[in-house]
Order: sequence, then C-alpha cells, then structure tokens
Amino acid sequence: MTHSANPTYDELERAQALAWSPLTGALPAAGAADPVAPAQPWRFARRHARAAAALVLLLVLMFPFLWLVQLALRPENDVFSDELLFTPTLASFAGLLQGNFARSFGNSLLVSTLSTALSLAIGVPAAYALARWNFKARSQVALWILVTRMAPPIAFTIPFFLAYRWLGLQDTVIGLAIVYLTFNLAIVIWLMQTFFEAVPPAMEEAAYIDGCGVWQAFWRVTLPLAAPGLAATAVLCFVFSWNDFFYALILTRTEAITAPVAIVNFLQYEGWEWSRIAAAGTLVMAPVVVFTLVVRKWLVQGLTAGGLKD
Amino acid sequence: MSSQLMAAGWQAERRRAFLLGLAPSLLVLAVITLVPAVALLVASLTPLSLTDPLATFRFDDPLVNYRHLLEDKRFIDSVGTQLELSVSSVTLQVALGLGIALLLHGPSRLLAATRAAFLIPMVLPPIVVALIWKILYTPDISPLHRAAEALGVPFSSLIANPDTALWAISVADTWQWFPFTMLMVLAALQMVPQSPIEAARLDGANRWQVFRFIVLPHLRPVLVVCALFRLIDSFKAFPLIYVLTNGGPGTVTEVTNYYGFVQAFNFSYWGYASAIAMVILAGVFALAALVGRLGWNHHHDPQR
Repeated sequence: MTHSANPTYDELERAQALAWSPLTGALPAAGAADPVAPAQPWRFARRHARAAAALVLLLVLMFPFLWLVQLALRPENDVFSDELLFTPTLASFAGLLQGNFARSFGNSLLVSTLSTALSLAIGVPAAYALARWNFKARSQVALWILVTRMAPPIAFTIPFFLAYRWLGLQDTVIGLAIVYLTFNLAIVIWLMQTFFEAVPPAMEEAAYIDGCGVWQAFWRVTLPLAAPGLAATAVLCFVFSWNDFFYALILTRTEAITAPVAIVNFLQYEGWEWSRIAAAGTLVMAPVVVFTLVVRKWLVQGLTAGGLKD
Repeated sequence: MSSQLMAAGWQAERRRAFLLGLAPSLLVLAVITLVPAVALLVASLTPLSLTDPLATFRFDDPLVNYRHLLEDKRFIDSVGTQLELSVSSVTLQVALGLGIALLLHGPSRLLAATRAAFLIPMVLPPIVVALIWKILYTPDISPLHRAAEALGVPFSSLIANPDTALWAISVADTWQWFPFTMLMVLAALQMVPQSPIEAARLDGANRWQVFRFIVLPHLRPVLVVCALFRLIDSFKAFPLIYVLTNGGPGTVTEVTNYYGFVQAFNFSYWGYASAIAMVILAGVFALAALVGRLGWNHHHDPQR
C-alpha cells in the first residue's frame, strides 16, 4: 500500500471516519432502514405508537430533572405553591453570583481545566506509544487502567488525605487536580489509543521519509487526524472532574472548595432556601448537559469505557 | 538497501521515542495509584488515628484491624446493606435499561433523537442527581407528596422511614444508571444477525418468540457484563447516601463504603478505615476477575 507524502483530502476523510467509527457505530444511525419490519399497512401507525410511547416514557423519566429546573426559575416566595404557571425569574441565579458560590464555581472550572490539561499532556503521548508499539506488556497496561477505573475512591482518598496533610496540598486546587489524574489519565490513555489506531501508520512513515522525527510526524500528521477524538476525550475528562464530589468533599475545606461541595453546604448550613439550592444545582449541571448534547456521538465510548468490546 | 537501513533507523528511533512518550504516564500512574495502594495496605496494618499519629509505623499487631472487623456488628451489617442495595438497584436498572433499549431500537428519527435525552441522568453530576431526589423525597417541596396529598393518600417521607429508606436510594440509583445498560444494549442490538430473525419470521414466530429465542441469547453476555460493571461501580455510590439519608435512619442505609468514610473522616480511625477499604478493594477485584474470566476486554486488533 502506497501513500503519497501529501495525503489527499479523501484519505484524510477516510482516516477521520475510521477514527470516529467505534463511537459513531455504537449508536444506530438515524433513519437507517430496519430490514425486519414487515411492510404492513398499519406499520406506520405502530411505528408512531412506539415513538409516542418513547416520548411519554421520556417525559416521566425526565420529570425529576425538569422539576429541579423549574424550581430554580421560580420566585423565592412561590416555591411551596401548587401553581404550575408562574413568571420565571433569574433572581435566584443573580443571588448566587453575589455569594461565595461564584468562587466555588470558579474553583470547579479551574480544577477541571487544569486536570484535563495535565492528563492530556501526560496521557496523549503514552496513548500514541501504546497504539503504535506492539510490545508485550500491552494487555497488562490495559488491565492496570481498568483496575484504576474500578477501584473505589475511598481506597485512594485515605492515602491522599494523609499525604496531603503532610505535603501541605490539602485544600489546594493543584492538589485536587492531581487526584483527578487517578481517573482522567486512564481515560485519556484508553480512549486516545483507539483514536490513534484508526490513523494509518503509513502516513507517518511518509512524513518520516520527508525528514520528520517521530514526534514531529505525530504532531503534524497523526494528532491533527485524531483531533475530533482528542476534543471528545478532553470534554470527557473535564466532565468527570467537574462531576466529582467525593474527593472534593474530603480534600478541600474552604479555599479550594468546588461547586458540588458548595451545594451540599447550602443544604447543610444555609437552611432550606430551595430556589437558591435548585439554581445552584442547575448551574452545576448546565455545562455537563451542554457538553453532552455537543459531543453525544463521542460520549458513548467514554461512558462505557472498558465495558464495550473494542 | 538504503531504504532498508532507513527503515531500521526509523524502527529504532520509534522505539526510543515511544519509551520516552510512555515513561511519564507510567511514572505518574505508579505514583498516584500504586503508591497509595501500598500505603493503604500498610496503613491497614497499623492502629493509625488522629489521636495516635505516632502509630504510623507500629506493626506490633498487624492484623488487629482485620480481627476487629469480624467482631464489628456495624461493619457486618453494612456489608449486608451494601449487597441489598447493589443487587436491588442493579437488577432494576438492567431491567429498565433493557426495556428502554428495546423500545428505542428502531429506524425512526424521533427515536434516535430521544436516545440522547435518555442519557441525561447518567451524565449529570452525581451531586445534582442526589439533589433532584432530595427534592422529590422532601415532603414540603416534593411534587410526589403534594400530588398524593391532593389525591387524599398522603404518605410520610420515604427517606426518613427505616423500612423504605434503602429502597428510596435504590430507586434513585436506578434512575441515575439505567442509561448505561440502555447504551450497551442498543450497541449490542446493532450486532444481532438479521438472517435468523427473518427465517424465524417466515416460519411464523411471533415477536415474543423472536425476542426470547433469538435476540435475548445474543444480548445475554452484554447484560451479564453490564450487571457486573454496575455491581462494581455500585460499591462507590456515595453522594446519594450522603445527601439523602446520611447513612440513616439509624444505620439502615449505611453501606460498607459509607461506613469506611465515617470511620476515616468522621472518627479519624484511619488504620481501621484502611482495613475496610481493603475489604472493598478485594470485593471489587474478585468481581473484576469475573469480568476477565468472561473474556471481556481482550484487545482485538485486526491489523496486527
């Protein structure tokens, strides 16, 4: 198989499609024909009955989620009323911005970004090496990664808690970002490996013949081709860090407190100001829901990492 | 000839480069996962606690914590609670996930659109899931309680009642995690071969028979892996219990993981809590070995 030094657009596109295939293939494509469905006159009605059932089920299952959002938009004195109609207000959100919550939200952003950047910087070269280097310990490394994914956080928390007391990393953003590497690094190595495997090595060899070093070829040829996968992986790392509650609860006190811990403090110390609590919850889940909709195609593999046979 | 030499140089250079790329990750992984694992094991052999910080290196009775575990009724109860919660919620979520996947597996564009929305509970921050259910279970504010009251069948708070508290958590956990099974089953449904289904249809099999004898056998391995994965993850369930019941009423919802948390960070008995964490780790590894035995995650690569 020969590849020119300048890969054509077609080849790039094929490599990209290949890079996405484990993810895009995981969900049925919209509008794909169902070869089993019999061509009967009432098929149309039945198909729509099914869609209707799905919609009703969706409404029932999403009801708890929607209830939280409407609570956040209610005026504070209206929280206990039974009226379903009300004038939505952003007052609760505005109240949050003035308090300490804004700071914990900033901490969450900072810690998630930092941890994502760190795990990508360390994990991406390793994933590339694992994808391209056919060495004996591959399956052991995969197992190690699986084990770190499965280990309960409490097993890591006690040693980290004790070590951080001693190192002075307790209640610091950097300390928390390091702890998040315990799960993020494994995710990066696991996911990026499959993305790199989908890029044909022949292209790097062509780049080498043109005088590129190994990492130069990686940087100029392979990484751009795997960029969508890289973006999806970054989003997943961010979301996993953002969602963490357990580590943040234990390893932070006041300075580096993250938004999920701040919500619990609302629940415990600030009485039952439901509209404010609901607004805080809505703010914390907003980035995650937005990301889910943006990268839902690629999300599938990250969420089932280690679960789906690949 | 020269191209061969060049290829050899390329290979050698690649090997060096790959080693360089791999080293930082392996080093960091070792420091943040292996070292804590060893530290945990060592701590579990000492009577380390906040009041006795000098006990870090006292190994005169290394098995004291483990012996104590066997006599600790609260610990043994927590294991029972853990099993009850894990088995009930995993059963419920696998059943619900399977049902929804079967409903959503189809050619319609609308069905495809709803698939993404059904994922929401799984991606939400766990603390927000806990908050959502705290609202549903708090009589003052809950739409469920208000509706029941309007219908004349008021009931008291489910999370404050020792008989229902664990079930209330189980339902919330099911809600959070059914999308995992749904996703896996949807993916597996794509791989069910169509020809036996068509043949069965021609032979007059009805929808139930097709499902029972053709589709379900194909899904069984995926369902088993889903159940095992979720079982392993269910040991970690924390925010729901922390926010909804705090282990109570009494200790009826105190699972092992939560008991470990209480020992370590409420009572500061770090040595004893480490022993509890070691027990959970052992359980996780036993289940993970079972996953391995089932032949999952063998890396297939057609190019090699």
